[in-house]
Amino acid sequence: MWINIVDMNAAFDVDVRLTLYRDFIQTGRAPSAQRIAQIVQAPLDHVRAALERLAAGKVIVLQPESREILMANPLSAVPTPFLVWANDRSFFGSCVWDALGIIAMLQTDGTLETSCSCCGEAMTITIRNGQLLPIQGVIHFAIPAKRWWEHIVFT
Amino acid sequence: MLLFRAEEHIDRWCSEWSQPRGAPLTIHQGWQLARAWYQHKMDPDWRRGTLEETEGLLIQLGLTGPFWSLR
Repeated sequence: MWINIVDMNAAFDVDVRLTLYRDFIQTGRAPSAQRIAQIVQAPLDHVRAALERLAAGKVIVLQPESREILMANPLSAVPTPFLVWANDRSFFGSCVWDALGIIAMLQTDGTLETSCSCCGEAMTITIRNGQLLPIQGVIHFAIPAKRWWEHIVFT
Repeated sequence: MLLFRAEEHIDRWCSEWSQPRGAPLTIHQGWQLARAWYQHKMDPDWRRGTLEETEGLLIQLGLTGPFWSLR
């Protein structure tokens, strides 16, 4: 019986994950828990429990108080300096890695509009046919790899 | 992870914000990392990589040394 409940939760969590990502991509906005519940036709508390499990599994990050989606990595629910254009929509990435990850996840051409974190000079990164178009610049990881998730919002 | 025009801009940013210097990546390496990390995240059977799988990925991308260690 216990195994069945675990399996049911796992299957439901996949459903919630796919629903939230697909809706996010389709609308350009992070769906609320209420909206996900409507789409998957499940009680809100079941969806909230699934979101908590996904967050505990480091699949997504929830906002500290509302427990709504903050990051469905690589997508950010809140505006950031990393604006991505892909599939005729715009999205925000939480960092340059995630912003490039949006284009990778959509498996399409895309453009990242951002700026140098030091001087503010505009920088545009373009991916076409899976290839990076030539650009000068460098990415800086401030946090060592083993502490990435510990400081996920800063990372 | 932030983007800079050049290495000296990283140094200036670290100094201004009193942050230790981390590790630089080329944008090409960043794109390769992003692709390996995220390209299957919307697949139904996607799962987070294990520690060993993630270590293997970082090594494959040439990201080795203490900064990139996951243990």
